[in-house]
Amino acid sequence: MNMTSRTLALIAAASAVVSAQPPAAPTPESVGPLRGDEVRGYNVTNSVELGYRLHGVNGNEAGYRSDVNYGNGLRLLGSSLTINSKEGHGKLFDEVLLNTQGLGNDPYQSATFRIRHNRWYRYDLSWRISRYVNPGLTLEPGAHSLNTSRMWQDHDLTLLPESRFQFLMGYSRNSQEGAGLYTQNLFDQHRGDEFPLFANIHRRQREFRLGGQLQYRKLKLILLRGWQRYLEDTPLSLSNGSGLNAADNTTLSRFSTANAYSGDTPFWRAHLLAESGRWLAIGARFTYAGTRRGFAIDESAIGASRLGSAVNRQFFAGGSGTRPVTTANFTISLFPVESVTLTNHTAFHQVRMEGNATLTQVQNGFGGAAIVDFRYLGIRSFINATDALFRPARWLGLRAGYQVSDRRIRSVEAETIGAFNERLPNEQTNRVHSGLFGIRLQPAKPLTFNFDLELGRANRPFLTLSERNYHAFGARGQYKRGSLLLSAAVRTNYNTNSVSLFSHSSRSRNYALDASWSARRGIAFDAGFGKQHLDTLTGIAYFASGDLAAAQSSLYVSNIHSGHATVRFALASRADLCLGYTRVQDTGDGRAQQAAGTGAFPGVQVLPLTFDSPQARVSFRLHPRLRLNFGYQYYRYAEEFSSLRGYRAHTGFTSMLWSF
Amino acid sequence: MRTIFLGGLLLLTLSAAQSPSPSSGGYVGSNTCKTCHAPVWANFYKNPHYRTLATGAEPPEKTGCESCHGPAKAHVEARGGKTTIPRAFSLMPASQSLDTCLACHEQSIGRAQIRRSSHTQADVACNSCHSIHKPVSARSLLAKQQSNLCYGCHNSVRAQFSMPHKHRVNEGAMQCTDCHNPHGSAAPVWRSGLRPRMVEAAADGEQPCLRCHADKRGPFAFEHAPLRVEGCETCHAPHGSVNSRMLKRPAVFTLCLECHNGATGFGLSGGGIPTQTSSHNMNDPRYRNCTTCHVRIHGSNSDPRFLR
Repeated sequence: MNMTSRTLALIAAASAVVSAQPPAAPTPESVGPLRGDEVRGYNVTNSVELGYRLHGVNGNEAGYRSDVNYGNGLRLLGSSLTINSKEGHGKLFDEVLLNTQGLGNDPYQSATFRIRHNRWYRYDLSWRISRYVNPGLTLEPGAHSLNTSRMWQDHDLTLLPESRFQFLMGYSRNSQEGAGLYTQNLFDQHRGDEFPLFANIHRRQREFRLGGQLQYRKLKLILLRGWQRYLEDTPLSLSNGSGLNAADNTTLSRFSTANAYSGDTPFWRAHLLAESGRWLAIGARFTYAGTRRGFAIDESAIGASRLGSAVNRQFFAGGSGTRPVTTANFTISLFPVESVTLTNHTAFHQVRMEGNATLTQVQNGFGGAAIVDFRYLGIRSFINATDALFRPARWLGLRAGYQVSDRRIRSVEAETIGAFNERLPNEQTNRVHSGLFGIRLQPAKPLTFNFDLELGRANRPFLTLSERNYHAFGARGQYKRGSLLLSAAVRTNYNTNSVSLFSHSSRSRNYALDASWSARRGIAFDAGFGKQHLDTLTGIAYFASGDLAAAQSSLYVSNIHSGHATVRFALASRADLCLGYTRVQDTGDGRAQQAAGTGAFPGVQVLPLTFDSPQARVSFRLHPRLRLNFGYQYYRYAEEFSSLRGYRAHTGFTSMLWSF
Repeated sequence: MRTIFLGGLLLLTLSAAQSPSPSSGGYVGSNTCKTCHAPVWANFYKNPHYRTLATGAEPPEKTGCESCHGPAKAHVEARGGKTTIPRAFSLMPASQSLDTCLACHEQSIGRAQIRRSSHTQADVACNSCHSIHKPVSARSLLAKQQSNLCYGCHNSVRAQFSMPHKHRVNEGAMQCTDCHNPHGSAAPVWRSGLRPRMVEAAADGEQPCLRCHADKRGPFAFEHAPLRVEGCETCHAPHGSVNSRMLKRPAVFTLCLECHNGATGFGLSGGGIPTQTSSHNMNDPRYRNCTTCHVRIHGSNSDPRFLR
């Protein structure tokens, strides 16, 4: 490699690395010959990073596992392989790409693989695992925790990828396995006790896809038929004894439950795309999916109620749920003159969720009548959006848009107990009109400004928190010259959803400043600061000691200050040093002490805390094909008003990055 | 009437399907380009665009360097110079860059909404994120690692993913494109105001969250309606939050009570979303964690109050 190429490679690596703020592995520095090795008509580049992770935690280790979760041990921190045929005429394949991260035992592992023959086939694989721990960190008493592993994999095979007729096949799998701890209320739904419920979680969803693509001139039709299968068979078990509330006398002496939940979703998807680069483009999509799920629950509990009387309860529920979904989109873009783009987009969505459950509960030999509960929730949405983009000059762009959406919600709640039959149908429609305005200015080539404003009005919002009378404003300025990038942005969202005697208002304001720069001699710098403010005032109502408190408000205030800085040095082509720091701090409303308890609802809800993480990484080039790396990252989580969840964690790794 | 409408639509579609007649002059072939641009050429066979050369079946205006940069005759005759390249991307306005790439790449499901996407409207063109000749990822030819590309403009999102409770994007377990389509998406149908333009719905038009969180998808015999009507963002901050479970409030009961306040005009019946019953004494801390009893808050098959 000559000097110029080496310098270019270093600069490219520097610019790629400095903006990253990942946990301290895998190492992003490149190793091996930039252009790879020639092997039997193929070009091969590869690298493997093998290392050892270590960590130590002071404080709440469960908090660390929830937020960070890196452990100790040997890992294949990262690997990369590319194989390309030299002239695009490989015998068996023309391209192979393989990338992995965290294999071994990292909580976040992934692999992507592609093998492609230009003429005959293309196969893509994506595989991921994420291990997540939730130790039940809600502030108020709660015993829900989770320690599960999610795995996703997607396989897609395209036959004849360069042809006008392509065949598509796919398979996806999504599973969640592990332990969960929930709670179950027993013997009195309002005042019974809660018992910890252990769950051995097994959830699996599989999807098969089969389809084709047909192209005729500028017209393309894609048709896909698929089948989804969902299965949840999570064994549950309860411990005997007293419940979570020490003051409650409810006890459980025997409990057993069995449940099953599974179903299928066959679906059709069709896409039609047509274009004429001169004046028109059309895209249309239609999908239909019909979902059916069946379920059954059989539960038996024996114990004593809070009043001390014996309780023997059997519960059975069985039924099904269905959800047919129809979605259609149509987009037409017109280009009457070069400087004008007009786009109209229509979306239609209809979903119906129907479920019926036959519930039978027998308590101490009484109440055996079956209750048939039926629910229907139908949502039909129609959205039409028109956007116009006008660029009268290179330095000026104007845009405007109008969107109207109409949503109808129908619901039916029905209950049948013997001869008694009750049915409550409801219907409502919400219409939203919104306008969008924007301007883009480029007074000089490296300098751009973008401003946008959206105003909207809804006549019948569904929730008290929904948008009714809202406006959102955004502005962004950017200066970019060479590797120097300076930017500033502001975005505000204001919503008022007040009717009659009820009030709700929400205001958020985000500000951000960012700067990055890479020097030619292997020095690069990136830093940013942001502030996110949110205040929400909402009327609430609740019962306290039997009295209804209806004239109070919930005021939530959050002021999150965040910053990051990274600097990287390349030392004489032999070593790379990267130093970084990230900090997130919520100052709440600025108070120094927790609000004194005024009944159930403190006037202001705040959670002031600090989460910061400095890191350092050094990489030594021992040989053109070998690097030795060390990394260290420190995490500190601290809440202002409680030390129970705080922790300090030291994490590190050492690794060898090898190209062979 | 329907026949006339359908006939008109068919005519419109077929007229759009007519390809423009290509101009044929001034093409010199990629072999001429490599004479001077050897460093670019040396790795170009790894580029997906090399396939236009490998097939040998494409017309000159769709082959190799000139398929993107235009006929090079004038550039060669002038012995170089950026201004003599018909389509030099560093000199082109964003709209022209977009049009050039879409000449081949428009007919894709993922790019069906690109003309109305927020990126296009803000003049963020293809080469703002993709680097054809110096990509860091062979897939998608991205100029940087994906999250860093997005953070470059969306600074506040970087802060959200640095919070203690977040989706694992910085850790590499997820990517921005798992939920977003940077090329624009169809209008989301799960909320009514301030609709995001870049959130890619699941295939059935549902929220992208349900692609991974399949257990929340249902259908359930008893649905918690806000999930389906207004979406997961009613309670959760999808990028990250300082609150556990990425909730929008630090305490669960405050989140629930902001909706369950009986204010008329809201909810399924319009009579207000029901308040809690008088047996719930909020002075007693055990009643403040609603989900201790209402465990199936995303939907239940056996209890209308989501108790099991």
